[in-house]
Amino acid sequence: MEVNLAINKKPLTLNLKGNETLLEVLRDNLSLTGTKTACQESECGTCTVMINGKAILSCITLAANVQNQAITTIEGLAEGDVLHPVQQVFIEHGSVQCGFCIPGMIMSSVALLEKNPTPTQAEVEYALDGNICRCAGYPKIFEAVHDAGKKMKKS
Amino acid sequence: MALTPKKSKFVDEYVDPVGKSVPRIEGRGIVTGQTKYAFDVQMANMLVGKMLRSHHAHARIISIDTSKAEALPGVKAIITAKDTFQIKFGSNEYFFPHTVDQMAIEADKVRYIGDELAAVAAVDEETADEALRLIDVKYEILPGVFEIEEAIKPGAPAIHEALNNIALILPVNFGNPERLMKEADSVRETKFWCPVAHPSPMEPHVCVGQWETFTNKITLWSSSQAPFKCRESLAKTLKMDLNDVRVIKMAVGGGFGGKLEMLPMDFAACLLSKKAGGLPVKICLTREEEFTTTRRKHGMIYKVKTGVKKDGTLLAITGEVLADGGAYCSYGPTVLAAAMMRIFMVYKIQHFRMTGYRVYTNNPISGAMRGFGGVQSGFAIESHMDMVAKDIGMDPIEFRLKNITDPNMVTVNKMILTTNGLRECIEKARKACGWDEKRGKQQHIKRGIGIGIAADVMGSKMYKSHESAGAIVKVEEDGSVYLFTGAADTGQGSNTALSQIAAQALGVSFSRIKCKSGDTEITPFDTGSFASRVTFISGNAALLGGKDAKMQILEIVAKDNNLSIDDLDIKAEKVIFKNDGRLLMSFDKALDLCYSFKYGKQIIGRGSYNPKTTPIDFRSGEGNVSGSYGFEAQVVEVEVDTDTGVVKVLEMWDAHDIGKAINPQSVEGQIEGSLAMGVGYTFYEDLRFKNGRVLNANFAGYRVPRSIGMPKMNSILVETDELEGPFGAKGMGEAALLPTAAAIANAVEDAIGVRILELPITPEKIIKALKEKSLEKI
Repeated sequence: MEVNLAINKKPLTLNLKGNETLLEVLRDNLSLTGTKTACQESECGTCTVMINGKAILSCITLAANVQNQAITTIEGLAEGDVLHPVQQVFIEHGSVQCGFCIPGMIMSSVALLEKNPTPTQAEVEYALDGNICRCAGYPKIFEAVHDAGKKMKKS
Repeated sequence: MALTPKKSKFVDEYVDPVGKSVPRIEGRGIVTGQTKYAFDVQMANMLVGKMLRSHHAHARIISIDTSKAEALPGVKAIITAKDTFQIKFGSNEYFFPHTVDQMAIEADKVRYIGDELAAVAAVDEETADEALRLIDVKYEILPGVFEIEEAIKPGAPAIHEALNNIALILPVNFGNPERLMKEADSVRETKFWCPVAHPSPMEPHVCVGQWETFTNKITLWSSSQAPFKCRESLAKTLKMDLNDVRVIKMAVGGGFGGKLEMLPMDFAACLLSKKAGGLPVKICLTREEEFTTTRRKHGMIYKVKTGVKKDGTLLAITGEVLADGGAYCSYGPTVLAAAMMRIFMVYKIQHFRMTGYRVYTNNPISGAMRGFGGVQSGFAIESHMDMVAKDIGMDPIEFRLKNITDPNMVTVNKMILTTNGLRECIEKARKACGWDEKRGKQQHIKRGIGIGIAADVMGSKMYKSHESAGAIVKVEEDGSVYLFTGAADTGQGSNTALSQIAAQALGVSFSRIKCKSGDTEITPFDTGSFASRVTFISGNAALLGGKDAKMQILEIVAKDNNLSIDDLDIKAEKVIFKNDGRLLMSFDKALDLCYSFKYGKQIIGRGSYNPKTTPIDFRSGEGNVSGSYGFEAQVVEVEVDTDTGVVKVLEMWDAHDIGKAINPQSVEGQIEGSLAMGVGYTFYEDLRFKNGRVLNANFAGYRVPRSIGMPKMNSILVETDELEGPFGAKGMGEAALLPTAAAIANAVEDAIGVRILELPITPEKIIKALKEKSLEKI
């Protein structure tokens, strides 16, 4: 079946069997391996991407169901060489350790901050609760999200 | 010679990088999704590999028929034990050769649910899964044994040839504890249960193996904490020369001890590739396989008995540790040793007797996990010490201050403690948390505060007679510097910290450094990322490598300027005179000179470091296992809801003797990550089994810390400037995890007067303990 969608602002027509998850299409068909998975059953959040600005789990989303939608992955956040503010602050605040959760963590953060650049701590915790980080214990991730929100509000 | 150096493109704010929070060297790659993990490796014609695993906890293999699977279109290779040399591998072969007990593909028997029987490679995942279903295995089912105390009974099913399923007995004996117990004013005996946690890194175990059929060389792209160890096991089990095996560590999505060893999948990926004519084979474990078939923390029954004087002096400690080892030994022997012997770094104790038993069961395999036995002993010993202090009416901090180790002392088991900031850590944590105002004074609001202390090694000889690390510092003509290190960055930030050390030693800006790590063919040897050893041991190698490169440059500069090399130094991008700091030339100019028509000298610095240790004598427990020791004190404040039994951690303080923080932000990151993992272990990380089957092999059933409910964490860095450490630094990747469970249990006791002896601390246990306490009053 033919599926039309836009990934990172690029319109694409995909020929699919129909049973592929969005995650499989991104990683296997399009080699966009920035999006990870650590469980394939919607428990870990590492496969998070954005569809029309909303964070979703690509491991439980059928690619055929995102016909005509705009998908943003971690590869599509930076503008040329300029990192998205969330990407930049994740580096600055030392929020990154092994990095495997980070693409998903950043996508969830961007989805939150685009709607609400000044979230409360509770709102940040709630927005990121589906994204497991096993290394960093979260404080430096929280710091980064608050800081990024301020930067996004300014710009 | 120009006196004002031209500003190099490399000069940045991190011109003196040691001690600064330099951002991660791979930061941009990670936040843009470009960093490649083994999980992301894609190659043309790559096959999907899968392991066939036992469904039985204990069974004899009668036959394996692969004919139907082989006939399935798309199946490219199948291996069973008959395709292998049936050579056993293990991880403590140097000290405990008899514990080398696992085969990559078992030949005669399976010993746990998940044991590998065969492996297949096929064109896609569906075909590989279908092939697994078509393999027909006939078993003779044997009775299994799943509880430690059942397994050691005479007549229990024999899992290996070990008598009473005891793989290893480790006695640790010093002085005359029996006599001293009689002299004690107070004696306390406690039994603790330390449950099974799982490292569960976000990136599961994954590898790509490729066999060059004509040259007979193999390459394994892996997610490994110890690529050189993996190479050794691959070479051994595949009967190959060490240097025909290349292990390339990609970016690693977390390890926490679980990725220290070769697993059967690594072996299978290579052998399947050979059978498939050299096509690359990728094997990626599912999350369920990750939880059930990799390595888990040892569940331990920890019994400890202590005699003290009324004034708080520790007289004697005795005890017994029973560890559920599961089906194979893995790193178990050293985990058991570490679970008993860490106490000597923390407390001055002369009379000590403890015996450890590592017991085979038909449960999944126990091995290394962050803390290496120290999380279990940390919970038991540090909870017990609070109980002992309470018996004699002493404040837990005063009791510890009376008994802790000092700087510049030799412990009863001959560990040489030089710098020791434990006292300072305790005092700083006490002050920061407001201990004196809070302890014992908040019961009316059901709040409590508790302490736990710990110490850790930085390195341990586990699978080799030496544990050296090497470094090559290659200074290129364009001014960039390559650091080659065998150390495996698994997310802790060693590539960044080692680059900072090399840059500082060479006297240049951090931005010059590019780091290539963990490739057994091109980087120097390194035993791996474990025992909090990398900053200290690999860091010393990077330091020596940087210094060596510097001396090579200075040799040319001195020669060209008719100066003595002894009078010169390179600091912050400048060649200077040592005595007055006067500028001679810029680093770039010096480098131009080295690579000039006249000299044409390549700058390749080398460093090799082996810590000054003595091997542990495991018959007595004696030996200076580490080149330096790190210390820490942790305080936790909790609030207990006595209606629901829910314990809320309000705030945590961790004061840590790290020698010198090479990268303070990374140090804090290690502490915060450890504290979170400790909170998880205390309250919910509990891998549960029933008849050898894991009941909660996913992130829904096995909860790990998530963002909601994380307490405020305070890191207090205590710098003791370790003489043997690179720029004074010590390792610190594990210690902050060791006392967390006890600090929380001690805080709960302070808040509501109940003592939890079995982790995890669940609301049910709190409610039950409160009920028992109220019955006692009646």
